[in-house]
Amino acid sequence: MIRVMLSALLLGGVVALAASCMGLRQINELAIVSAVGLELGEKPGTVRVSVQIIRPADARGQTGAPAGGTGEPVYSVRAEGKSIFDAIRNLGRFTSRRVYWSHNFVIVMQEKYARKGIKEMVDFFTRNHELRMDTWVAVTPDSPEELISTITGLEVVPGEAVDKLFYNNDVAGHALGSNMMNLEEAMLSGSAQPVLAKIQLQPRGISNKKPGARASINQVELAGAAAFRGDRMVGWLSPKETRGVMFFLEKLESGIEVVDCPNGGGVLTMEFKNARLRVVPSYRNGKPEFTLRLRADADMVESGCDGALGEIRDEARSKLEEELASSLRGALNKAQKTYRSDFLKLGDTFRNKYPSEWRTLRHRWNETLSEAETEVKVKVVIKSAVVKAERTNRP
Amino acid sequence: MTKTRISNGMFIAMLINLCFVKSIGVTQGVLARSVGQDMWIATLLGTIQGIGVIYLTYLVIRKMPDKNIMEIGESLLGGWFGRAIGLIVFVFFAAGIGPLMLTFVYHLQEYFLPEAPRVLFVAAAMAVGMVGCYYGLEVMARIALVGILFIFLLNALIVVGSVDEFDIRNLLPVLESGFPRTLAASIHLDSDWALSTMLAALIYPAAKDFRQRGALLGIVAIAASGLLIIIWSLLEGAVLSAEVTSQYTLSCMKLARNAHIGHFLQRYEMIMISLYSIPMLFEVMICLYGATLGAAKLCGLKTNTRTVLPAGIVLGVFGYWIVEDHFVALYYLERIWPWIALPIAVGLPVTMLIVQALFGGRKT
Repeated sequence: MIRVMLSALLLGGVVALAASCMGLRQINELAIVSAVGLELGEKPGTVRVSVQIIRPADARGQTGAPAGGTGEPVYSVRAEGKSIFDAIRNLGRFTSRRVYWSHNFVIVMQEKYARKGIKEMVDFFTRNHELRMDTWVAVTPDSPEELISTITGLEVVPGEAVDKLFYNNDVAGHALGSNMMNLEEAMLSGSAQPVLAKIQLQPRGISNKKPGARASINQVELAGAAAFRGDRMVGWLSPKETRGVMFFLEKLESGIEVVDCPNGGGVLTMEFKNARLRVVPSYRNGKPEFTLRLRADADMVESGCDGALGEIRDEARSKLEEELASSLRGALNKAQKTYRSDFLKLGDTFRNKYPSEWRTLRHRWNETLSEAETEVKVKVVIKSAVVKAERTNRP
Repeated sequence: MTKTRISNGMFIAMLINLCFVKSIGVTQGVLARSVGQDMWIATLLGTIQGIGVIYLTYLVIRKMPDKNIMEIGESLLGGWFGRAIGLIVFVFFAAGIGPLMLTFVYHLQEYFLPEAPRVLFVAAAMAVGMVGCYYGLEVMARIALVGILFIFLLNALIVVGSVDEFDIRNLLPVLESGFPRTLAASIHLDSDWALSTMLAALIYPAAKDFRQRGALLGIVAIAASGLLIIIWSLLEGAVLSAEVTSQYTLSCMKLARNAHIGHFLQRYEMIMISLYSIPMLFEVMICLYGATLGAAKLCGLKTNTRTVLPAGIVLGVFGYWIVEDHFVALYYLERIWPWIALPIAVGLPVTMLIVQALFGGRKT
């Protein structure tokens, strides 16, 4: 009898625990965040958090107002607080649902906020179990709340549009695909510094209703990168310099370069492919040195040049090599001289090859790097003029 | 109780299940805090030491292959010695519930149910553990077989989801912390296989082919555990970096958070917990089982059935006390548990071998 009673008690307990509704959160009770903006608050020492929340009834299908909907696929609000968490809790004073982070696409920080330090931001979003680590992180010179509310491209939800911009960032090759995963890694690393994508608003969209207004609708665009030293932003990188950084950090394989025609005339556009950058560190006379070797294949994809492409092939190759070398040198110059910040992970490469020397240099690595000798070698092979025969361009 | 027979596969599966979850969950974070990117080397060194100790354990049992370590002690020096070993076994598994419970509770609570009270998780784990214990070794061994399937699936999934982010530069330079420090750090991995070798000391006689291939079974189990765990060491080091791994109590969950297959299958935590659940509950179950066997021997009982409930309450209360405070839990995990686990897991078979050498001929 005792055994039966104990079994019943145990079974009842297990059923009660297994079927628990503890912590239950229904999907229709959540405010699903798709983008976050961070900037300094109005009061000193405060932070302003703006969030873009998906309005599920309006976000489905195409834009427009479905029955019972408002026609606006997102609901954007902002709040301030002494910390990010405090600001988010303050959002709860006027949002009817509880903020849910798991589907957030992007975190955008305003430049002034990034220059003040992002340690708390990284800590908050990595400590929060709901956030995905592949959430994109970017810096903007514009207002983040305006940026995250701007409908860009074909997507209904602005955050999703920015997400897709980042997924295809290697097509243009003008901004890094920086996410929380690699930001956290760089922040904690003893031998590298963070670098984040720069996004901005530009009047690129043309209204179908007022085509005469031309490109007057703001769109979000990828526009370079923001370099950091420690947790503080120290400056911007141009899109061209950012392409140089992408060879180091994202193993950028392809892209296009436009060069002047070697024999006068217009311009020649070349698409490089299979690019591979090799960083070779060395150590001489107590100083590190780096040799950068970039190899790539290339095709001529658009030509306004006079003469046959076959005849200008060697000169075009030299010009392309010079362009690519210029991207690399630009990135190196910013890392070594302008910002003295090792966002190219040269320290990692040096540390891996010279661990004992690294121990003596690591405490003043940014200064050491600024004095390091660097050599850039680019070798390109132009293999094709794509579908055209080389002589068709002759006048 | 040693008349139950389990297959060789079950025996190996039980030993793997018992050390896998904690090793990938919390031990890698501890190792990253100690030796950075050399954590995979510490794991490898720990595994080699584990192979040595399981062989020692085999040597102890080999002399009397139908008896577990407590019964052998009793045979050698009489009932008092058997009871003393029973007490040691009880203390070992009771202390072992701490790290296992923190692995279980923090996985579920911190990533899925942060608002649920901790007592819920502890009570659920102990309830399942008591049921398993009550039904005995064979039932638990079958659970371990299911668990090993889940472990393989989990490893395959995490490899596929993380391989895109794998950066071998994060594992370099090798042995930056130096060999002595890496070897010293491996005690944290040792404290994981200690549970497996102590379980082997209790269930070795039940393994089907113990007489023919006992040593091989134990060695295969520990080596396979090491290989399955080292995959996580390498992934956590190369994908997350040692610096990031060292920041987290549950570094495997951090890896799962980063993992993705294509654009659509993101965040593995839920899949991971599903696959984790059986090995994790098995660990709690076995800890309770070991404690009940020790308690039964200590109290002079013939079976462990009557000790299931009291031992469950003791281990539940202790486990709850450990997980209630994160700082206490981590201190216990890193500073106290290895110093309980290793002296017992290594010292007991060594002592038994000495006693066997001195008093091997005597039988009471």
